[in-house]
Amino acid sequence: MRTALAIASFVVLIVHGVVFHDQFFYRWERHQTAYFEQARSLSKSEPERAALEARSPRIEQTIVTSFGDTRVDRCTTCHIASDDPRFATYAQPLKSHPYSAAMGDVQRNGRWERRHKFSDFGCTVCHDGQGRGLETKYSHGADEFWPEPLTGYVTQANWRKDFAPKLKGKEYMEANCAQCHTAEDFAGTPNVNRGRKLFYAMNCYGCHKIDGMSEGTLGPDLTEAGKKYKIDYLWESIVEPRANLDSSFMPNFHLGDGDVRALVIFLKSRRGVNFAETSLDRYKAHVENVAVVIPPGTAGEKAGEQLITDRACTACHKLGGKDGGIAPDLSYEGLIRDNAWLMDHFKSPRSRVPDSIMPTFRFPGEDFERITAYLTTLKTPPPAMPPAETYKALCERCHGENGDGQGKVAWYLDPAPRDLTKVAFMNSKPRERFVNSIQEGVPGTSMPSWKNALKPEQVNGVLSYVLATFTKEPAHEIKPHNVPDTNPMASTAASIQHGEEIFLERCTGCHGRKADGKGPNSLDITPKPRNLRNAAFVASIADRRIFDSVLYGVQGTAMPAWIDYVSKNDVGDIVNFIRSINQKKGSQQNAGQ
Amino acid sequence: MPVASTDPHSHTATEEHMPRRRVLAWLTSVGLFGSAVLSAVSNLVFIKPRATYGQPARFAIGKPDDFPSGTRISLDVKRVCIVRDGGKMAAISTTCTHLGCIVGISDTGFACPCHGSRFDQDGTVTGGPAPKPLPWFELSLAPNGELEVDKGTTVAPGTYLNV
Amino acid sequence: MSTETQEKGAWSALREMPSNVWSSIFRNPLPCTDLERASTSFTNFFLHIHPVKVHKNTLRPIYTMGLGLISLFLFFILVATGILLMFYYVPSTTQAYDRMLDLRGTVAFGIFLRNMHRWSAHGMVAIVFLHMCRVFLTGAYKKPREFNWVIGVLLLLVTLFLSFTGYLLPWDQLAFWAITVGTSIAGYAPLIGKQMQFVLLGDTTVGQEALLRFYVLHVAVLPAVLVLLMAIHFWRIRKDGGLSRPQEAKGETAVVKMTLEPAKKRVYGLQGFVRGPFTKVGNVPDDSVYAWPNLLLSELFVFVLTVSLILLVALAFNAPLEEPVNVMHPPNPAKAPWYFLGLQEMVSYSAFWGGIGVPGLMVAMLVVVPYIDRGTKGVGRWFAKERLLANTIFLTLVILNVIFIIIGTFFRGPNWAFVSPF
Repeated sequence: MRTALAIASFVVLIVHGVVFHDQFFYRWERHQTAYFEQARSLSKSEPERAALEARSPRIEQTIVTSFGDTRVDRCTTCHIASDDPRFATYAQPLKSHPYSAAMGDVQRNGRWERRHKFSDFGCTVCHDGQGRGLETKYSHGADEFWPEPLTGYVTQANWRKDFAPKLKGKEYMEANCAQCHTAEDFAGTPNVNRGRKLFYAMNCYGCHKIDGMSEGTLGPDLTEAGKKYKIDYLWESIVEPRANLDSSFMPNFHLGDGDVRALVIFLKSRRGVNFAETSLDRYKAHVENVAVVIPPGTAGEKAGEQLITDRACTACHKLGGKDGGIAPDLSYEGLIRDNAWLMDHFKSPRSRVPDSIMPTFRFPGEDFERITAYLTTLKTPPPAMPPAETYKALCERCHGENGDGQGKVAWYLDPAPRDLTKVAFMNSKPRERFVNSIQEGVPGTSMPSWKNALKPEQVNGVLSYVLATFTKEPAHEIKPHNVPDTNPMASTAASIQHGEEIFLERCTGCHGRKADGKGPNSLDITPKPRNLRNAAFVASIADRRIFDSVLYGVQGTAMPAWIDYVSKNDVGDIVNFIRSINQKKGSQQNAGQ
Repeated sequence: MPVASTDPHSHTATEEHMPRRRVLAWLTSVGLFGSAVLSAVSNLVFIKPRATYGQPARFAIGKPDDFPSGTRISLDVKRVCIVRDGGKMAAISTTCTHLGCIVGISDTGFACPCHGSRFDQDGTVTGGPAPKPLPWFELSLAPNGELEVDKGTTVAPGTYLNV
Repeated sequence: MSTETQEKGAWSALREMPSNVWSSIFRNPLPCTDLERASTSFTNFFLHIHPVKVHKNTLRPIYTMGLGLISLFLFFILVATGILLMFYYVPSTTQAYDRMLDLRGTVAFGIFLRNMHRWSAHGMVAIVFLHMCRVFLTGAYKKPREFNWVIGVLLLLVTLFLSFTGYLLPWDQLAFWAITVGTSIAGYAPLIGKQMQFVLLGDTTVGQEALLRFYVLHVAVLPAVLVLLMAIHFWRIRKDGGLSRPQEAKGETAVVKMTLEPAKKRVYGLQGFVRGPFTKVGNVPDDSVYAWPNLLLSELFVFVLTVSLILLVALAFNAPLEEPVNVMHPPNPAKAPWYFLGLQEMVSYSAFWGGIGVPGLMVAMLVVVPYIDRGTKGVGRWFAKERLLANTIFLTLVILNVIFIIIGTFFRGPNWAFVSPF
């Protein structure tokens, strides 16, 4: 026992000694001592040498409060030679911080003077990193829990390997210059400027809001993107939009590295605060930001065609030689849409296609008119082609090359393009229905009307091609359903209320409490439940069709047959209810036949 | 070497017969006492701050040209007064040596508003309860051409920096 | 037999639960007999600090005036109110003052608790000082109570330090400059003065570091030290044979022959073995009374008085809160807390002697007095003639200190010049 105790006591002493020693003889002490020795050998006067001799290592720090929060920068503890011009040729950490005219430094009497004095700015406001750290790992921000690694110099271990190397480079520091130097043409921030231009040119501004720059509400607010996110997240969000959110409909614009870098640097500079502004300036800017409108005349007197390029419509749409791969093909727009539709759609895309993801752009009215005027001139029908080619030219973009509704832009469309391989559905509807869909289009959706672009025999040809190639199984005789042609229930308040009650009881699971198709079950269903608030769509279908769908279900979809649970009169009430929620206020609309 | 008695419970053995036990006791005491001492010293080292968040001890104040000859400029927040006479410069503390108030500049030197201490231009006490003269801080020219005051180092009054 | 045990089922356990719970906590009845009175001291956790019997002299109000007890109860009040205040106070230079405003205005009972805390603090400093005077003037520091006296001096210093550290926490002009002055005095100590000041303040001037350090000292370190010293102080009282009393009172009861009886069924542990000026077994006439209920009732009475007084004072007078700290604007004059004003007055004559020398000497004298004054006469009586010299010296120094405090408080104005308080 005594032996054990003696050994343990001695071990505890050793451990105490190790702990004690651990807190002395830091790396930074060695750096400082090396600096003192070097500076002594470089010094020219005796008092200076004596002073350096007397100096012992200690923590050097700059405390800066001018930039919002308190910054304690201890970088100069190791980088003690940073303000000593004689050490320009030494290796880090004893290297002087460079001087440059581009940084505003001037030469006076043969001696450089720093514009951004360390005592005023500290270090981290430009370089990021962890000012309070005294070990390389922490102070350089390599620790992955630190939100601001040394910008452009350090990547963190958990950053994706495929683009982490692209996140290095001094140009990333421009994001920090822009905290004060916010002028759009500031020479010191070329990447920020380029990124800003791209922000407009690639139509980011349409979906994303940045205070003072844009008003988009479809995507996250990027006013403080630089403050909230690290550059690896910003890079990833641009090159792989769905990496962090599966349901994101942010398009992938397939930009080159240079463009992505510029955008990342630009976004990193968005910190919701501009140190050069006073709070009053910021407040005023915010108040005036209420309606940000791209100023008129920005595109001059250019015609609609030029405007399409200027406004980067082809960042999403297809037109001319360009294709953004996100939105419908506009090449035959003159044959498909008319003036009224296009102007309404510009002013508010969702007024025509309720679940469209196209942003509401705030161009001046004349820009819309010019673009509309141009689009309506696109009246050249597609050349006569075999059905397969016609399908490829007109239908494949949405319905997919396999007809399965997985076309290039399908992800961005709601309702999704019909899966033409779904036998149960395709064979449950009469051929006339499909002919009608192709010729007249499906209002309220992205399915255009092709009757002006295709002759009836072309329509039939394509349809037969589709049925043969994609649906494959030949249709059977469809048993007629016993559904009334007209709604037996008059559209009274009582009927509508009863219809609403049944709806709330039975339909909201899929169609949602607001009847917008976003019920809880809708997440697991393909195709998604119909948005019954799609006014244009609802107006275009006959009561009879609603009766049919409700009583007998829709084969090939999750819509069940309710014939055993609701009576015809009940369905009549439901129909009245559905019509009632799609009416404009104060007017009664008769359902189309 | 004397062997320990065969009875393990015997307590009557003398030290000469139990050198091993003595050595072990010595080791234990050294170990424990040493640890206690190290621990106590560590606590003292701990409690003395290495970096404080107040004003830094060593700071730059500008270039020599910012202080014209014949002036005495008091930097209030830093609690130091920079005097320049021709090519000679000095930094004198403006913290009263009595009880720590900030002295103001007067025609004859410095005057403390708290308890009436009076100092001459060099900081020597000429009246009032102050027990010691105002210390002079080390003033030096940094490699980048700026003047630096180091409040952690005092110099003898009358020590000037030649610029 | 088996049927009886079978009856003790869960149902009867449930019915008997209230009385079972009660008797598991309170195992002994309220005392009726002497035996029961005697046993309260070791059958109750909280009462076991008390002896079984106390000398009648101990309970004489004029003798001790209950000053020690009052200090203890003030300390309890301080701990209770202090902990409650901790729920709302933040030791940050930017937040402390605002929190004080909240405590004064918004928090329910905030102003009241703060007042109680402040006045109890001042009260405790005054009362422990008076308690020290009482102990000195009754010669109660003499053998065997020398070490307890030293502990007492330490307790006085810790109390002063506690009050000093707490003084800074409101972070108003009064607090800031009082502590600036006070810590500057500490800096006058030779060799280690500046280092000590740096460690105490955590910086070269009073700032966030000082506030944090003072807070930690005030709510954690010093209370722990105080409690430890108090525990030793009370333990020593017991070991030294209770409070001091006049010689005559001891009489024949001083030493009683005792025999070690063979172990009986009930053994009272150590009490059976102590041979001292006290605690004896046997029918010998003595002047002691049972602690239960006499001492305990007296203690309760002092407690009620103390609490009532503090409540009344807290109701009547508000603790001060001046303007928020302005580092550039020292008030003229800047005064230390009242218990240090005597020091500050002396400092105005000579920094070292007034701040370090004289106080140091006084503390040293206090600590050393029981080892210098070895006379045994005059213990247990106020102003005993046999102790005229000691009492005179002591009272002179006390009165001088009080005079200095009065001068510093009322007769000193801007620039520390003499002013008339009228």
